[in-house]
Amino acid sequence: MLKLTSVYKTYRTTDVETLALNEVSLEIAAGEFVAIMGPSGCGKSTLLNVLGLLDSPTSGVYEFFGEDVAGYPEKTLTRLRRDHLGFVFQSFNLIDDLTVAENVEVALIYRRDVGGERKRRVAEALERVGIAHRAGHRPQQLSGGQQQRVAIARALVSRPKLILADEPTGNLDTANGEAVMALLTQAAQDGVTVVMVTHSLAHAALAQRSIKLLDGRVVSETLLAA
Amino acid sequence: MFRNYFAAALRNLARNRLYAGVTITGLAIGFAAAMLIALFVRDEYSYDRFVPGNTQVYRVSESLLNIGERPIESDSTPMMVAPALKLDFPQVQFAARLSAGNFPPSVQRGNFSAAEANLAWADPDFFRIMPLPTIAGDLAGALDAPDGIVLTRSVARKYFGRDTPIGETLLIDKHPMRVTAVIKDLPSNTHLTADMFASGRSPYSALTHYEQVDTPLNNVVATYVRLRPRASVSTLEPQLPAFVDRHYPLGRINATWANTKVFIHLVPLTAIHLRPSTQGAFKPAGDRTVIAGIAGVGVLVVLVAAINFITLMTARAGRRAVEVGVRKAAGASRRDLVVQFMGEAFLYVVFAVVVAIAMGELLLPAFNALLQRRMTFDYASDPMLACGIAGATVLVALLAGAYPALVLSSFPPATVLKGGLPQVAGGGVVRQVLVVVQFAVLIGLVIGAVTIARQTYYALNQGMRLDKDQVLFIAASPCTDRLRDAILTVPGVRKAACASAMALNMANTIDDTIVGGRHEALDIAPVDFGFFEVYSVRPLAGRLFERGRPSDGFVAGSEVNPPVVINETASKKLGFKSPQAAVGHSITWHFHTDPNTAFGKDPSRPSEIIGVVPDFTFGSMRAPIESTMFMVGPKVSYYAVALNAKLDGRRIPETLQGIDRVWKRIEGDAPIQRAFVAIFTLRLYIDTVVQGALITIAAVVALSVAALGLFALSAYTTERRTKEIGIRKAMGADTSDILRLLVWQFTKPVLWANLIAWPVSYMVLGGWLGGFAYHVDLAPWTFAAAAAAALVIAVATVFAHALRVARAKPVGALRYE
Repeated sequence: MLKLTSVYKTYRTTDVETLALNEVSLEIAAGEFVAIMGPSGCGKSTLLNVLGLLDSPTSGVYEFFGEDVAGYPEKTLTRLRRDHLGFVFQSFNLIDDLTVAENVEVALIYRRDVGGERKRRVAEALERVGIAHRAGHRPQQLSGGQQQRVAIARALVSRPKLILADEPTGNLDTANGEAVMALLTQAAQDGVTVVMVTHSLAHAALAQRSIKLLDGRVVSETLLAA
Repeated sequence: MFRNYFAAALRNLARNRLYAGVTITGLAIGFAAAMLIALFVRDEYSYDRFVPGNTQVYRVSESLLNIGERPIESDSTPMMVAPALKLDFPQVQFAARLSAGNFPPSVQRGNFSAAEANLAWADPDFFRIMPLPTIAGDLAGALDAPDGIVLTRSVARKYFGRDTPIGETLLIDKHPMRVTAVIKDLPSNTHLTADMFASGRSPYSALTHYEQVDTPLNNVVATYVRLRPRASVSTLEPQLPAFVDRHYPLGRINATWANTKVFIHLVPLTAIHLRPSTQGAFKPAGDRTVIAGIAGVGVLVVLVAAINFITLMTARAGRRAVEVGVRKAAGASRRDLVVQFMGEAFLYVVFAVVVAIAMGELLLPAFNALLQRRMTFDYASDPMLACGIAGATVLVALLAGAYPALVLSSFPPATVLKGGLPQVAGGGVVRQVLVVVQFAVLIGLVIGAVTIARQTYYALNQGMRLDKDQVLFIAASPCTDRLRDAILTVPGVRKAACASAMALNMANTIDDTIVGGRHEALDIAPVDFGFFEVYSVRPLAGRLFERGRPSDGFVAGSEVNPPVVINETASKKLGFKSPQAAVGHSITWHFHTDPNTAFGKDPSRPSEIIGVVPDFTFGSMRAPIESTMFMVGPKVSYYAVALNAKLDGRRIPETLQGIDRVWKRIEGDAPIQRAFVAIFTLRLYIDTVVQGALITIAAVVALSVAALGLFALSAYTTERRTKEIGIRKAMGADTSDILRLLVWQFTKPVLWANLIAWPVSYMVLGGWLGGFAYHVDLAPWTFAAAAAAALVIAVATVFAHALRVARAKPVGALRYE
């Protein structure tokens, strides 16, 4: 389903060139739950951004559902994101000025879904992550764990084929972290491909496979569960 | 501590050059515009204050009231008022009269001659009343000799090439006059227009001429008095009705005037300019409402600039959050921080004022040219000006600096040091409200500018209801048949006819008329055969005067008055149901056949109404068109003062040269004075044109300042919403979705602004238009157009930022956090 072949990604500032991804090749199958690990600055988030079509590789081939998307224009990438992807960020990335329900709805409005159907699916997603009772609140009125559950509801609501989670438990205490992991594991069991960046070995252990990055290279892959 | 503050402020300014530049430029433009407007307002309120001892100087004005009629307010009086006041009241130290005469005399020295519209004839005591600043000669006695003449410095230089030609001779209409004194050029803020003052004692002066035809209803001179040093006008005013009874024997002149009441008042010299417009005024009067309106516009422009300042300062507050946190952690109190940020605001405002002063100086010559003034920013001799600017600086710094200072100083240090941006309670709302106010001002100014332009255009064109295209006025007193017929032979002249000052609405004479026993006062307006045809005025009923019928014109010694054509208002006033009904009726009136003798000698005689014409006017739209009766008068000076020539408009320069040649052949050396009617009538609306220009300039200034502010604000808020935009893009929003989101954010305040701007403009402009008897309606399209213009500007201003952000890759936006 996702296949990277010799992907490079470099960032340039005026006097420094940083090689964030260095000849990365990997394949992720549909329905797989993959954890990406590695120390800070090893390229985890860059890899996730490339996988999530938020950023394009500098060179190499990225086959997304069989299409080589490396050279696609932004417009096409936007359409693919809209139709197939859900995101969960470490810092939640909720819009402060919108309510919980409206934040979740953001994932649907750009798909031009009809209003009634949208409301129903938002309610269903909030129910699923157990935050329906806070639907009318603003993000600042929620705890970190609650905010992340809203973010997961937002990622799930569009019924994506792929969820990309960037350290989803990084800002959470243990209990909240586990609750979030349970939601992601459930999503994977329901057939959604989940790619998660994490520092937590315990949380990585919940995935089927873990990929370890160092200095922009894939240094090891571990199959954790069948 | 202050050094630290100052360094922080300067570095902040340097680091945010765009915002600092926009803030300071916006404030400076606003200030510069406001300074020029303030100068204008101050000028309007300072008329004639330069005259020494002005508190004891009054001009006599007169109200004439016919029962059931609109009172006629006049700045001029009959000749006898000045000497009678001096004789009757010991409080009056001096009384003098001033008159410009009917038409400008020719002034000649050697081979050089010119028509001087600004020559006035004055009584010897005039300069004892108005001791104007003198350069040479003894001004007080300068007009005692009948051949004395006083010049301004400019006129002295024009004719003699030097400032002090005392004792030199000038020919006024070929009569020698001797220069007895030279005064400084009059400033622009005086009601006087003259720059040459000739002795009224001259046997050729307008005063001498008027003396011979003086009656209590012949208002021909401006009358001034100076009261004795301790005399009070309040002791004089109650005695004026009795004075009128003694000196205005109206009933004796003519039985029909018995119902006419005359009132005279003493108007303080310094109050003349701001009195409502009257007949006989030398200059268009200032209008307190309009001045207040213009002053208001000045305040609004500063308001718009100050709002920019506040929105930009608070919008950027987040950038200073860490600094606030660190200072608070280091022990700064909120008061310390308020002082710091207020100081910073002060720094910005002072920068802006310095730039504004330079801008004001640069723009002043153009501004003076536009307003026909000679205003200066004279800081040294006008401490009020310097104090005003300093005061305004402090006030704006306080008002504009207070809110951002309070917002910035309120940040909780714990939050901002953790890197979180504090949510300023209501900060966004305040900014939104300020932007709404800004756009409301802008929309209001645009509606005002458009409406004033429409009314001016209307007043100068269809409002007059006559076709003045390609019609030339030629001043000729008298305008003779010989001159008219000669001009008609010039190739390119299609039609020509003489007209009286009354027909051209430059003077008026009212007569009591009788139709079927009913008395009505009508304006009498002698014209010439072919006058209506020159202006393409067609009869509504009956016919016009025909040259082929000699009895249509004035016949000396006739037992009947010449036939008349009346206008529609007169037809209605006389009680006719329709124009057709008026034709053929007999109307009895007095025709004052010889204006060189006293009025009222001629008996009432009947004549026939032969036609009715539509209402038209050469006068101002401010007053209703008078009920008027036209007849072909004798070609004597009072009744035929100008030739109206309709050109074919094809070879205008050649035609004008031909006219000049004919003039020279017939009138000799007297310089020709001609002007196209369209340009001549502009004088009536010069104040309206100025108001329109001022408001348009203010609107453009407010618009550019607001656009500048919006540009910076949009750059800032767009930046602030980067995270949100990133999220939305990650969720699949495309460029157009983001663009809509951002543009809508700045469209909303513009739409709200209309809710304020529309009703306020409707009321203010409705009142202004109400000052015109004939005016355009407040067109809904102007409101819609102003709103659309504001919207286009708002969208155009924010579009570039919005597009850039909307196109950016979402990863950049998300990494921003």
